[in-house]
Amino acid sequence: MNSLLGIARRSAWNRRSTLVWVVVSLALATALLWTLERLRHDIRTSFAQSVSGVDLIVGARSSPVQLMLFSVFHIGSVPQSMSMDSVRALAQHRSVSWVVPLSLGDSHRGYPVLGTTAAYFKHFAHGDKQPLVLQQGAAFADTLDGLYEAVIGAEVARKMGYGLGQSITLGHGMHDHDHAHEATDTQVDEHADKPFKVVGILAPTGTPVDRTVHVSLQALEALHLDWVAGTPMPGGNIPAEQARKFKLEPKEVTAALVGLKSRAAVFNVQRFVNQYEAEALMGVMPGVALGELWSVLGLGENALLAVSALVALVSVVSLMAVVLAGLNERRRELAVLRAVGAAPRHVLGLLTLEGLWVTGAGVLLGVLLAQTGMLLGATWLQSALGIRLQMGAVLLAGMLASLGPAWRAYRLSLADGLSPRV
Amino acid sequence: MIDIEPLRFAWTRAGADTLALGPLHLAAGQTVFLHGPSGCGKSTLLGLLAGVLSPQQGRVSLLGQDWAALKAGQRDSFRADHVGVIFQQFNLLPYMSVLDNVTLPCRFSALRRGRCQDAGGPEASAQHWLQRMGLTSELWGRPAAALSVGQQQRVAAARALMGQPELILADEPTSALDAALRHGFMDVLLQAARDAGSTLVCVSHDEQQAARFDVQWSLPALQQAGVGA
Repeated sequence: MNSLLGIARRSAWNRRSTLVWVVVSLALATALLWTLERLRHDIRTSFAQSVSGVDLIVGARSSPVQLMLFSVFHIGSVPQSMSMDSVRALAQHRSVSWVVPLSLGDSHRGYPVLGTTAAYFKHFAHGDKQPLVLQQGAAFADTLDGLYEAVIGAEVARKMGYGLGQSITLGHGMHDHDHAHEATDTQVDEHADKPFKVVGILAPTGTPVDRTVHVSLQALEALHLDWVAGTPMPGGNIPAEQARKFKLEPKEVTAALVGLKSRAAVFNVQRFVNQYEAEALMGVMPGVALGELWSVLGLGENALLAVSALVALVSVVSLMAVVLAGLNERRRELAVLRAVGAAPRHVLGLLTLEGLWVTGAGVLLGVLLAQTGMLLGATWLQSALGIRLQMGAVLLAGMLASLGPAWRAYRLSLADGLSPRV
Repeated sequence: MIDIEPLRFAWTRAGADTLALGPLHLAAGQTVFLHGPSGCGKSTLLGLLAGVLSPQQGRVSLLGQDWAALKAGQRDSFRADHVGVIFQQFNLLPYMSVLDNVTLPCRFSALRRGRCQDAGGPEASAQHWLQRMGLTSELWGRPAAALSVGQQQRVAAARALMGQPELILADEPTSALDAALRHGFMDVLLQAARDAGSTLVCVSHDEQQAARFDVQWSLPALQQAGVGA
């Protein structure tokens, strides 16, 4: 077998121009497979980690998934607001530790604007109870001094090139991101009369927080002082400074995040919310709603999985095709080897050896390619175990794929040499 | 050395016999000129002698060993030990040096490797046979693909002689050479085979060469004997 290695090596070197392409095609397939798997894993993880440390999300009664999507992912809308009175009532419940009201509806250059209190930065967490961290600056003040101050997410800062002290204006409603870009130069923001100053920039979290502009609830109230039913009041413009003199306590908010003193009370509080008499409310446990949401998105996950499987299948079949085509080229060579005394097991070994190292090189190159691509691309999360399993599977499949042609070669070679058909 | 009991061979079970031979015997060390028109089954007979093909009836034995009595794996190693083969052309691995091509049989047969020890090992033995075939030392390190067709056939002959196998089968070894080269090639091959003590069965169309062999087998004539029997 040792002498076989030398022959295999020199034979492969002789056919390097073809083999390089086999390796490249395998590498591309592996890179694709790897990236798809990583993507699938990343989506699931970032999704599951988008909210933590919150025991209940409370809003007007609608669908739990809808409330979840809007309050955490800032996607879609909810049909109803909840009154600030309910929020205060909730805060007085003996099991409740804290309540953070959320108000959504405006945007800045396609990024959603979240009106909340400074407590949001203290209580909202992601991942494994990791709190929000201010990379630069500080949270806005809940007082009137902080009225026109904003804290922006990491992506907003990076993509828009904002630093501390940047002045930004808000638009009314949730604009589509892409359209907002087109419109930046031509369209004047509806709330341009009351500019905000960026006072804090959050560290990246990998969650929707990165894409959010945070302001105080009072600020949103001030923006809409001169608005009635979603449109500016004609001739009723109230300048920014003058707005401070008005009563800026909001009467209603979109939803509220609730933290409990003890998790054990969660069903109690949920019942309290669901049976609240003054208005129709519901309490949603984030974990449960995320699970429900994921089961819907699971369809997409299955599609990704199917694509991954197809890619793997296609690459193995094409490897087999390439090796079989190469076999024709090698019939003469194998006949010579058989004529000088090589047994079928030698030929089998030769072809399997080549299949193995070609696949190995392809997989290695592919992983390298995918890793480099991902390093250059977005941030990614480690999942070493899954990766090793995948590599093993591709390696095994590649080896098995080279066995078929090997068997054919064994049948062909000797008869070929003795009765040459050129 | 070679014993053939009346045999019949057909490529397909239902088809007509390609070969029907009477009893044949060949003593060790003899050189055989096997001739006949194209398609009469010369290569098939070589296949039978090498144990690559098995007759439907009858028996082919080499050195007293019936090919049919061996399992596939045993046939392979018996062939590697006792049979050297020269094809019409494309005998060599193009990516290996001349010397490495010649030592190939020693990689697969311990018996032939052992026999090379007397000459000082496979390398020395290979050099010996290359020299006998008239290939000078500056060619030995070159890749086989860099040689002319005539030189390649000589390399193939040197390889077949490695470890002095009892039987050397040559299937039209000179058909790719021009007339001027054929004589020279046959000269050295016949002489080397005699020196090695190997039996040589050589298929050829070139009847001018026939007289230089110990035995002439005309396949059509042998066939008739087989049909008669």
